[in-house]
Amino acid sequence: MKISTKGRYALEAVTDLTLHAGMQFESIRSIAERRSLSENYLEQIFILLRHAGIVESVRGPQGGYRITRDPDLITAGDVLHAVEGQMAPVLCLASDDESGLCEREARCVTRKVWQTMMREMDLVLNQVTIGKLAEAVRTEQLIPVSDYII
Amino acid sequence: MKLSTKGRYGLRAMLDLAVHSQGAHVPINLIAERQDMSVSYLEHLFSLLKKSGLVRSVKGAQGGYMLGRPADRMQVGDVLRALEGNLALVEDAPDNTPAPDALSRCIRTMVWDAVDLRINRLVDSITLEELAEEKRALDGLVEPMYHI
Repeated sequence: MKISTKGRYALEAVTDLTLHAGMQFESIRSIAERRSLSENYLEQIFILLRHAGIVESVRGPQGGYRITRDPDLITAGDVLHAVEGQMAPVLCLASDDESGLCEREARCVTRKVWQTMMREMDLVLNQVTIGKLAEAVRTEQLIPVSDYII
Repeated sequence: MKLSTKGRYGLRAMLDLAVHSQGAHVPINLIAERQDMSVSYLEHLFSLLKKSGLVRSVKGAQGGYMLGRPADRMQVGDVLRALEGNLALVEDAPDNTPAPDALSRCIRTMVWDAVDLRINRLVDSITLEELAEEKRALDGLVEPMYHI
């Protein structure tokens, strides 16, 4: 049960971008330098983020990437889904993949366990926004879980 | 988040034991048949579960596996952690990585730790017996109400 480095770096990079550039353009190089990440790898990650409409890019010397909307409207889930694809813990919960369904489904009790696990995960990922993360970094005030999840 | 086949099949195997054992050892080939798994893979899963004391085995003709303790005292979380290791969304940082900065710490606390906390709390709130009861009901193994 793991998020790949792609997901981890994407969340770091988008938070960093927001923190340092707000809604302005910023080069991948600056993000890569600050986060000690590979520029090439970040480039690949940002292509996925752009496809998902989370960031947009302009070319040229003043170019780079910027977030497309208010960081309070971008959730950690948005970023992770954009680069990780389906985040279902098991194949039979991946909605767009019929091949994951099995004939045991109707009488499958464990599937319900995986389903509630996914719900718990989504609950957190859909509540934490990039805006909240950036704010927490800025103020060095970590917001405890209980404060933002009912 | 991906769960490995160990976790998926292992929980199913434990559920099968809880439903069918009734205090006796269950031959592994019966579980394999019912769950459509290979005997050798099941042996592998049970060896992991045995290390955590979640199953006991008896060798010989009457042998097989049974739960290491009553199903109502075994949490789904115990089973999954025995098979998957820590139920954590991201790997722990290797020892040689530099101390995390504020940004890494915020993401760790507000996202990864928050998810881990909720997921572990969830699986620790469900007992194997609760799943077994549900399964018996679905399979019509409880007090048949009528016969055709």
